[in-house]
Amino acid sequence: MESASSMIAIERLSKTFETTRGTSHLALSEISLDVAQGEFVSVLGPSGCGKSTLLYIVGGFVTPSVGALRVADKPVTGPGPDRGPVFQEFALFPWKTVLGNVMYGLLEQGRSKADALARANALIELVHLKGYENFYPKELSGGMKQRVAIARTLAYGPSILLMDEPFGALDAHTRTGMQMELLDIWERDRKTVLFVTHSVEEAVFLSDRVVVLTRSPGRIKEIISIDLPRPRRRAELLVDRRYQQYVVDIEKLMDDPRDVIPPPKGEGAEPTGRRVAPSDDKLREAGGVAS
Amino acid sequence: MKNISSIPGLPPLLACAGLLGVWEVAARIIGISGLPPAHEALRELPKILTDKESLLNILDSMRRMLIGFSLALIVAVPIGLMMGRARLVAAFFNPLLMIIYPVPKAALMPLIMLWLGVGDASKTLVIFLGVSLPVIYHAYQGARAVEEKMLWSAAAMGLGPAARLLRIVFPAALPEIMVGIRTGLVLALITMVTSEMIARKQGVGDLLFNALAMAQYETVYATIIIIGMLGFVIDAAFEKLRFRVVAWAEPTHDIAVGST
Repeated sequence: MESASSMIAIERLSKTFETTRGTSHLALSEISLDVAQGEFVSVLGPSGCGKSTLLYIVGGFVTPSVGALRVADKPVTGPGPDRGPVFQEFALFPWKTVLGNVMYGLLEQGRSKADALARANALIELVHLKGYENFYPKELSGGMKQRVAIARTLAYGPSILLMDEPFGALDAHTRTGMQMELLDIWERDRKTVLFVTHSVEEAVFLSDRVVVLTRSPGRIKEIISIDLPRPRRRAELLVDRRYQQYVVDIEKLMDDPRDVIPPPKGEGAEPTGRRVAPSDDKLREAGGVAS
Repeated sequence: MKNISSIPGLPPLLACAGLLGVWEVAARIIGISGLPPAHEALRELPKILTDKESLLNILDSMRRMLIGFSLALIVAVPIGLMMGRARLVAAFFNPLLMIIYPVPKAALMPLIMLWLGVGDASKTLVIFLGVSLPVIYHAYQGARAVEEKMLWSAAAMGLGPAARLLRIVFPAALPEIMVGIRTGLVLALITMVTSEMIARKQGVGDLLFNALAMAQYETVYATIIIIGMLGFVIDAAFEKLRFRVVAWAEPTHDIAVGST
């Protein structure tokens, strides 16, 4: 791919974890992926396939065992404000109000208080939380917490958004609403987004490309370009043949029985030995199960 | 019943009145000098509280308690937080704490007196030890429970390891630390009195034992009431402060005040 202009360049990256039993567990194997500037890429895969680990590595929170990772042509050595994470767990600072949370990164980046306040207020308005500035996280619903988290990350102006199943803990209705809002926000400045999810519909709806990983160890199984016009409207897409075809094709890819049962003799791979029931997966996709 | 329970402060007052009533009746029935009737002990209260010497003793005790307690917070909170975030620190301190925790701190008093004498230093050290352990333990638990993703979010904003410990781990663990401090306050009072009972030079504990030695049982009981009220007032004031400081926190669990 166009590695010269790529925002995120991942080359033959693998990650091995040491388990508590002293064995090693290969979580990611030989991942190579280029994400262009302004591209929206989703990483899709069954639970335990290492898709979140891949995101944490790009964020600099977890170090890869083997391989190269460059962001904006610089090797990644740790976390930085150029890559803003949004987690499923929200990870808000509970002792700070909504305003305090959104301002935190701005003040940390050395902005003046007045400047930070103005920008934070604009972002709070953008995520439709005007009037909630002085609320503490515990007083907010899950959807509102995630709005705060998104505003907090957008505030310090990262060029890349790293979203780790951000809507996974939300109910189905809130989830689809948040997807549309995210796209609206994204259309404004087209940041580079790496978006981890296990919902096929969500990945297809949001992304330019969908990366499907295999189960443990996570390898790239296929990369699918989603050739659907933007801006996308959910109501239109749901009845769009091409959208439906993408969803069906990717569902099929993910239902491959070879993935469900781990290989008997993987080198260093520790069999998970647990098959996630399909009904459970479906529930999760519908956003019905908070995990 | 409804109108009785709706008056705040009435049930505890009734409980106190009940206790005094039982005491009064029991003392009259048993009728030994070691258990004077409640009203005689209560009559001693204003005498003690207006006596300059007694008041100075009480203040003296409070001063040592405050110093021991403050020093303990300064030392225990950072140790607990670092234990919670660094496995090596936890591995170092954990066995020490396990050994020291079950030892009644007052039992160390004779030894400490050998090193530091019978003055302020020994008593303050015992109070320090008594307060430190629950505070370390709760700070440790609180720091351990801090969500990794919260620290990652801070790291992405540019906070380094030291800033994260001070500005993320500490406030995030604060609700748990406050639980430890509350236990620590009660232990400070207990160790304060027991230390003075062993190293008798001045203080509330000395007051108590002097009265006992002179068979002034009314004074003994009155002093115990004063210590009890002191504990009650300190705890109530701290609870007010605690709810104010960590009002933002999700309600976790009820506090059980431990003791050693």
